[in-house]
Amino acid sequence: MTDTVQAGRRKFFDLARPSRQHLLGYILIAPAVLMVAAIIVWPLILAIDLSFQQVKIPRLGGASRPFSLSNYTWLFSSQEFWLACWVTLKLVVVVTAGSVAVGLSTALLVNNRFKGRTAARLGMALPWAVPEIIAVVIFAWMFDTSFGLFGWLAIQLGFADQMIPWVSSSTAAFWAVAITMVWKGFPFVSIMCLAGLQSIPSDYYAAAKVDGASVFQRFRWITMPLLMPVLGVTLVLTLLWVFRDFSIIKVLTGGGPLRSTQTLSIMTYDQAFQYHNFGRAAAVGVLTLVICIIASLLMLGRRSKSIY
Amino acid sequence: MNKRLKRLALSAATATLMTIGGLSPAMADTVLKFISWQTDDAGTGEWWHSAIAEFEKQHPGVKIEFTKAERSSYADTMTTLFAANQPPQIVHLASFEFQMFADSGWLEPLDPWLEKDGIDMTGWAGQKTCEWNGETVCIMTNYFGFVMAYNKKLLDEAGVAVPKTYDEFIAAAKATTKDLNGDGIADQFGTGHETKGGPGQYLTEMLNYIIDAGAYWTDKEGNITIDTPEMVEGLTRWKTVMKSGISPVDMSASDVRKLFADGKMAMRLDGPWLYGTTEKGTAKSDIVYVAPPLTPPLGGSSNVLAMPSDIPDDQKQLVWDFIKLTMTPEFQRSYATMGGNTPPSPKADVSGVEKTIPHFPVLLQTMKEASEKGIDRVPTGLELYYNEFSKMVMEESQRMIIQDLDPAEVAKTMQAKAESIKG
Repeated sequence: MTDTVQAGRRKFFDLARPSRQHLLGYILIAPAVLMVAAIIVWPLILAIDLSFQQVKIPRLGGASRPFSLSNYTWLFSSQEFWLACWVTLKLVVVVTAGSVAVGLSTALLVNNRFKGRTAARLGMALPWAVPEIIAVVIFAWMFDTSFGLFGWLAIQLGFADQMIPWVSSSTAAFWAVAITMVWKGFPFVSIMCLAGLQSIPSDYYAAAKVDGASVFQRFRWITMPLLMPVLGVTLVLTLLWVFRDFSIIKVLTGGGPLRSTQTLSIMTYDQAFQYHNFGRAAAVGVLTLVICIIASLLMLGRRSKSIY
Repeated sequence: MNKRLKRLALSAATATLMTIGGLSPAMADTVLKFISWQTDDAGTGEWWHSAIAEFEKQHPGVKIEFTKAERSSYADTMTTLFAANQPPQIVHLASFEFQMFADSGWLEPLDPWLEKDGIDMTGWAGQKTCEWNGETVCIMTNYFGFVMAYNKKLLDEAGVAVPKTYDEFIAAAKATTKDLNGDGIADQFGTGHETKGGPGQYLTEMLNYIIDAGAYWTDKEGNITIDTPEMVEGLTRWKTVMKSGISPVDMSASDVRKLFADGKMAMRLDGPWLYGTTEKGTAKSDIVYVAPPLTPPLGGSSNVLAMPSDIPDDQKQLVWDFIKLTMTPEFQRSYATMGGNTPPSPKADVSGVEKTIPHFPVLLQTMKEASEKGIDRVPTGLELYYNEFSKMVMEESQRMIIQDLDPAEVAKTMQAKAESIKG
């Protein structure tokens, strides 16, 4: 009898059996799922919970405050929030477009055979390898209003008669941030596009050439359609990166001057750590997440399926 | 046999674990965490290390883990640690940021500890700032007065005397601002202000001119007093300084100090900590310290020591012992001799400090002047909203400079916004 029970148990836990193999899969991914839940889902739940409380500085394990919509009410009536949304949108459009333009161009360039191609590919990927904070500090030196390289170049080349106040002019500060972000972001687009370009069979181009297609026609009718699946995903990833990036803006301009570079992520930080309004900061964070989800769905959803 | 062996091994392992677990607390040292931004500051950092060494000598088995957190992210670090219920036992904060922690009830009231040890705080500079809701929640570590350091060689070359008033200061700064290599870009500046270090530092820099014009953000009762003719004059002065090109733009404090220390700037209004940088600069021999031409000198509380309210009592006693040690006349004296700081204790013997730090009498003089006039960087009534208030003032001042606005209009806007922040 005991032997029969034990045999039954062994049968149940025999994960090598085809009918039990899905169990093995669940067991193997369980640690990763638990880890993700602990470091992503749990803080997300805490943030959502916090956004519905009127709380200055929360304390782990402390008593919750009563449910309140005041953070969201404040947010939607706050000029600061709408300005941050506008700045974020501008930056997303400019940086994503800039990164794609530069990234795609460089990918097309290094996809050709020429002397020094390996070095060019390495140079193209270099900005991606430089730690973000180091890159920003270098750019901060170059954009320095009093002694910066860009201001000096502008004077020497006759574009300006005095140093450009990169960080104390609203327009200049926005472009300083955008240029730095494009420099940091384009190698990712380049690498992805290069991988996409290399997967396009060369026969297509040969056939098009035989049919008399020009370079532009080959790019328009072969390269772009076949690159779209890769480009679509790259576009979403770049967009999300611009949305959440914090360190470039924080180090370069701190969100100023006059909040001209204050994005939603900078606003979240300021509300939490400058003004100690963690409830409001959580509300900004939750809304940022919602906007990111909607943007991603729009780009990867049904409407954009035709591009794949 | 196998089963017996397994049981035996399991019992042995359990016993070993229990023994180690039981012994470990008794064997381990007590460690007090102390986070500061001053760990490697020239002079002041060494003073903290000497206090820690003396404390550890007096308390065998107790160690202080002295860790650095950058000043720029210091408030964030401390907020995170307190929010996570993991505050350091020895709490070191700037005098404009402890209020939020005190208001949340996270700082231990120190009156019973002071009373128990019979410590009289009368005459302790800036100590009033440490009172929150009628309780003493911290000990003022540093109260300072601003001085003016100037480069004698640069002023002599420009043929200008050491300025004694605001107008003379501006004239001297204009005379010493030069494009040395003729590329159309100024390489030498009359003075310099940090405008990139965040709103609090921005406010400190502009306060030099505001106070000299007879203005301040609030009165002693905490009423907002920005929309006044004196404030309009103060804002006009700040606008003049920032628009006339006598100061480099968008620089951090360390960059400004380095420029001055290396002879690229003629005059600098700063606190006692400037000395550490000028001593390492190439223009060291040309630099002279005097009382600032703007009066009363800007001054105020700088940083405080406190302890968290929810640590065990035995740890509280140790933390208090450490705080008490730093308050002794011996350590208050070495705060001056080692750090070049003005000690807040009225009992500190600072005789002879001028032998090693020649301008020490000027530091003492400006500290006393600022203290007597009740000058502080944190405006009364806005302590809890200091970050929000300073950001508002910085933004409106930037708007005034960028958009060339009338300072009178700016003062009106600031008044309205400050009242709204205060609620």
